[in-house]
Amino acid sequence: MIEAKGLTKVYGGKAAVGGVSFTVQAGQVTGFLGPNGAGKSTTMRMVMGLDRPTSGTVTVNGLPYAEHKAPLHEVGALLDAKAVHTSRSAYNHLLAMAATHGIPKSRVNEVIEMTGLEAVAKKKAGGFSLGMGQRLGIAAALLGDPQTLILDEPVNGLDPEGVLWVRNLVRYLANQGKTVFLSSHLMSEMAQTADHLIVIGRGRIIADAPVQQIIAGTRQARTLVRTSSASQLSALLAGDGVKVDQSETETLEVTGMDSRQIAQVALENRVLVYELTPQHSSLEDAYFDLTKDEVEYHSHLADGPAGEYASATAGK
Amino acid sequence: MTTMTETRTRARSTASSTAGTGGVTFPRVLRSEWIKLRSLMSTRILLLLTLVAIIGVGGLAVLIRYTYLENMARTARDQGQTMTPEMMEKSFPPGSGFDLYNLPNAGLQIGILVLGSLAVLFISSEYATGMIRSTMNAVPRRTPAFLAKAILLAVVSYVITTVAAVATFLIAMPVFQGLGFDLDWSTDGVLYSVFTGGLYVAGVALIGLSLGTLLRNSAGGITVLVGMFFVLSIASSFMTLIPGEFWKYVPQYIPSEAGGRFLSIGHTDGVIDPWQGGLVFLGYVVLFLVPALVVLKKRDV
Repeated sequence: MIEAKGLTKVYGGKAAVGGVSFTVQAGQVTGFLGPNGAGKSTTMRMVMGLDRPTSGTVTVNGLPYAEHKAPLHEVGALLDAKAVHTSRSAYNHLLAMAATHGIPKSRVNEVIEMTGLEAVAKKKAGGFSLGMGQRLGIAAALLGDPQTLILDEPVNGLDPEGVLWVRNLVRYLANQGKTVFLSSHLMSEMAQTADHLIVIGRGRIIADAPVQQIIAGTRQARTLVRTSSASQLSALLAGDGVKVDQSETETLEVTGMDSRQIAQVALENRVLVYELTPQHSSLEDAYFDLTKDEVEYHSHLADGPAGEYASATAGK
Repeated sequence: MTTMTETRTRARSTASSTAGTGGVTFPRVLRSEWIKLRSLMSTRILLLLTLVAIIGVGGLAVLIRYTYLENMARTARDQGQTMTPEMMEKSFPPGSGFDLYNLPNAGLQIGILVLGSLAVLFISSEYATGMIRSTMNAVPRRTPAFLAKAILLAVVSYVITTVAAVATFLIAMPVFQGLGFDLDWSTDGVLYSVFTGGLYVAGVALIGLSLGTLLRNSAGGITVLVGMFFVLSIASSFMTLIPGEFWKYVPQYIPSEAGGRFLSIGHTDGVIDPWQGGLVFLGYVVLFLVPALVVLKKRDV
């Protein structure tokens, strides 16, 4: 279990993390989601005692990380896949880490096998691809068979097979009752992996709830309508509590009315409708709703979902 | 014992834990740092070359003195005189650096340069590669990791320098005995010289480690180290040209000169005694180690 209370980190007068409090429970995967620069890594570094909080406290399994007698058995962390001496082999890197806790060589070989690094274990870590580096970082995190795992962007640079492997691994560990705290900016990944989400933006917690609740709670159900007379139908549907967006010539997005009611209106007015699809809101939508005011670095090209959403609301 | 512990661990945990439950202890941290030191091919090659280079420079110093003395004896013989070793020794003014007792440390400057730089790199390369974060994850109290590095570097530096000093002396002894000099292990200052040179180099390594920690930068750390032990001593020799007694008194307190005094024997008028030189040098080591330790403990990594 990880408990943060009023955790704050100020860099040069600017608060990277501004008084965040949260609890990460054992036995589930907790996702830590936020745009770039939101303070995810800084928060995780403070949990691991690498950065000193400007104020506030954070404990892991009841104690500040540095006060544990056997820290690697308490917490395994992947904060930075490049936290390895480039001229040392993966095997020797893990061996040196293991030696601090008297972890036997057999365990080193075990984590190498678990992470699929057998073929490259004796090679210099400096020559590793990003994906191999991530696997080595995960191997180091698993070394002490810790009760709590903290993984900062673990799927970064992994191939699809690697992504699946990480997903299964963290699910397995959570099922064993371990605490898993996982950061990512990939919402699709989070939707499939996490049970609980903590969303951070500009150094503040903006949501802390189960994944399903976050997805359900943020946006009303929408329906995609394709019709030959979009403007006519749009005028007919628009009204109290109903919002209609026209994205293409023959495509409407209707909020505040279900598909049956739309079909009814269309039938009564003899409007041809050739598609009527209820849209399930995704974590992605929820995420953009939550973070639209909190993004540190806006991209000005209106491509991608963020741009689409921004222009859709602006157009209305 | 290891087998027993392993068996017990396996018997106890049926689920998965082959990782054991052991905590961080200082001997374990020491072992971890030792693995780090020896698992870099570059370090191993560097240490071997240092050993060879110190002995090589020592051998060269033996050869130069031998050739010079041989010449002197031959010239005397040609003029129908006999020159005894005592007469040869007397022909050099005191303090001119002829003393044979400190031959074991003839190649010491190489040791200072290479082992000092290696000490800087031992920690600055961890900062450069990001390894330092892994180190501090495993040893979050940080101080044990730094102390383990310090002890290892000091021991490795001492052992290499001392082995090289013994080897140099084993080369020198028969050569000068052949010229009739009374040089063996019981000669005044020989044992002192062989066993204290390493202490000086170990101290330089500790200053190097501290510089690497304070600056977190390999090039910067090595530059400052070279500045301290090579450039400063040249600068100090110019200092003695400044009029006034004070400027003649200052140079012996700079790190390299204080260390040099520590390696000599006996009292010389006008300069500090060897033990005083040793204390001054130790003062410098502490002066760098303590801030490094404080900064390492406090700073974000």
